[in-house]
Amino acid sequence: MASGIKGQDREDAVAGWLFMTPALIVFIVFLIIPIIFALYFSLTDWNGISPPAEANWVGLDNYQTVLLEGGIRQSDFFKALKNTTYFAIGVVPLQTILSLLLAVIINQRLLRYKEFFRTAYYFPSITSSVAISLIFLFLYQRSGLVNNALEFLTFGAWEPVAWMSDARGLFHIILEALGVTLRDGPEFLRGELLGLTVWDWISGPSVALMAIMIMNTWTTIGTMMIIFVAALQDIPGSVYEAAQVDGATAWPTFRRITVPLLRPTIFFVVTLGLIGTYQVFDQIYVMSSGGPAKTTLTMAYMVYRNGFRNSEMGLGAAIAILLFVIIFVLTLIQRRITGSEAEQ
Amino acid sequence: MTRKWYKLLAFFLVLTMALVACGGQEEEPPAGADGEQDVPTEAPPVEEEPEAEEEPPAEEEPPAEEEEPAEGTGAELQLMGWSSSEAENTRLQAVIDDFNAANGNIQVNLNLVPDYDTRLQTSLAGGAPPDVFYIDSFRLPDLVDAGAVEPAEGRIEDPDDFYESLRDAFTYNGTFYCPPKDFSTLGLQYNTDMFDAAGLEYPNEDWTWDDLRSAAEQLTNEEEGVYGMVLSADFARWIAFLYQAGGEVANEDFTEMTINSPEAQEAMDFYVNMVLDGFAAQPADLDSGWAGEAFGRERAAMSMEGNWIVPALADGFPDVNYGVTQLPAGPAGEATMAFTVCYGVPADIPDERKEAAFEVVNYLTGAEGMKAWTDLGLAMPTRQSLRDQWLEQFPDLQPFLDGAEHARAWQFVTGFQDVLDTVNNGLQQAFAGTMTSEQVLEQAQEVGTEVLNR
Repeated sequence: MASGIKGQDREDAVAGWLFMTPALIVFIVFLIIPIIFALYFSLTDWNGISPPAEANWVGLDNYQTVLLEGGIRQSDFFKALKNTTYFAIGVVPLQTILSLLLAVIINQRLLRYKEFFRTAYYFPSITSSVAISLIFLFLYQRSGLVNNALEFLTFGAWEPVAWMSDARGLFHIILEALGVTLRDGPEFLRGELLGLTVWDWISGPSVALMAIMIMNTWTTIGTMMIIFVAALQDIPGSVYEAAQVDGATAWPTFRRITVPLLRPTIFFVVTLGLIGTYQVFDQIYVMSSGGPAKTTLTMAYMVYRNGFRNSEMGLGAAIAILLFVIIFVLTLIQRRITGSEAEQ
Repeated sequence: MTRKWYKLLAFFLVLTMALVACGGQEEEPPAGADGEQDVPTEAPPVEEEPEAEEEPPAEEEPPAEEEEPAEGTGAELQLMGWSSSEAENTRLQAVIDDFNAANGNIQVNLNLVPDYDTRLQTSLAGGAPPDVFYIDSFRLPDLVDAGAVEPAEGRIEDPDDFYESLRDAFTYNGTFYCPPKDFSTLGLQYNTDMFDAAGLEYPNEDWTWDDLRSAAEQLTNEEEGVYGMVLSADFARWIAFLYQAGGEVANEDFTEMTINSPEAQEAMDFYVNMVLDGFAAQPADLDSGWAGEAFGRERAAMSMEGNWIVPALADGFPDVNYGVTQLPAGPAGEATMAFTVCYGVPADIPDERKEAAFEVVNYLTGAEGMKAWTDLGLAMPTRQSLRDQWLEQFPDLQPFLDGAEHARAWQFVTGFQDVLDTVNNGLQQAFAGTMTSEQVLEQAQEVGTEVLNR
């Protein structure tokens, strides 16, 4: 008898592995092996053109170049890190809050044409990001729709800007409005840290980067909204009914019931958002190529740039690995902050 | 009933998505390569045509191939390049068909791909390169240093017939690597209507910087958003002024940067002040993706683009009346830039294939193939012997062709992309007033020194 059960188990196990095999092969071939190769190439001086076997082992040189050695590659790396971080800081909270709001609105029982709104909000997420980027290039022109709309809304007070070629940082604009400039600001602003001046570090996202951030938020909200809608529908109606019986109005219900019950989902959405923003590439590739003045140079774009333009595949791979480490650490930190409560 | 509707809806959704996805892919490369203000430098000039179609030409089997399918041993070669305009793609295919018809044992397949650099690089690294491929002169050092290109020295018929500037563009460390397919030079385009309205004389070959500046000043009408000239924050344009001022990027053997010189300073001041003084503006400030568009929309009276602007204007802005002349002379005389592409043969293929590949290259860059290819009037012949006959057909393009006489090659050393980025970045900031022209040159010198010392 016992052996019969064991046989059954073994058969199940074999069947399980068999079912898994196709996915496993794809996973190994297209994910695990490339990651191992990237790790290996990051320790070589491979140029990406000659056969990989001819690459020379250089140890940690590539990492040293971007992290420690002063020079254009170090300052570019930290510029990219800075830009990407501003990108994430701007986009992740915005997309999380907006998508949660949309989800709650769409989930209202009394809302009519629910399906229409759901589709409409989701649509940007399933449209090719290249197509969207090209259209936004037109919208962001000096005489484009965005400037026109802002001019109309501010009754002509808005001064049109050429969004995609404006390199001024948000905080620089604010500081300069307050009378602080690089020239006559305090001395520490001119100090240098990791290849960039302090003034550069505190630039904030440039106008061009903000334009891409707004677009990116718009395109990603839909996906996040769907996740929230699914989670909202999982919250039992009885909870809300109980709240209603206790006399809770809309805001306390949202704050005390919806948000706490959605905490695992919020963690998930923020994680997705962090990964997505730190890897932003296609919009940069299509819209700005890292310009103006390298203010839209992001880490992922820098990997591509080094690998396929500068013939520095090894260096590109090293940056890719560093990007992986950064995302990994950020996710761990974020898990610490929101995750511990989420597990309850 | 409802299920049917859902099916129909789903079908249309999928259809839309497919269409959207296709549309995106099709348009991606031109925009990515140079759709915007700050990239056009490293993009091969041919790609700069905004109307570039990405579809390879209709893959009609050449009749010749069908008639004599397998004569002799039959080497099948692949020629890889990027797509430019539909007209050019078709013409190149026709030239290759001619070659295939005349050669029973070598058959060439033309393969025009999007995202060319990436494709080429992966095929080289993967050990299966195309037998003949395009090389932009700026990219040549990278490919040579990686050991990817077979030297063409001694294997090309009558190499001295090529313009010297073009031979230079494909000579690296003293070795000639590949014969030029065609080329473009920078010229000065001027809007004749706007010059007439302002009562100014048209630019001519004797113009100097001062003439350019004063004309630009008089043609500018800031209230109407019209500027005398459109200037890009682009090393590939400014460098012409650098050479006109007598400056050099580096010393002759590229061991030392010389970009921070008084001559360079003069060129940088001239270029940047045109914008700071309000006589010139960047394409983006004129609601345009590139200088040619700003010129076509008559937002700028002059531009300095290459001959690719001619078909672009004919397509997009056929009503604009304009003329072309050479760039003005600077303190040290005339200079322009030559942007050119060659047919390279990989170092990593068997000898018989190389021989066959060079035979193809010789046909394409030889008198017969070159004539057939350039008769379209879009590309200019790289052979001096074809000059007169070509000019008879296209007299309007003479300033561009004449540019070859005093053109400089757009080619430096491996890793120079960093310097290019730095100067572009600096020019953008100088135009915005956040960097002085001294700082731009200092930074370029510093980064260049770092690159040369690698």
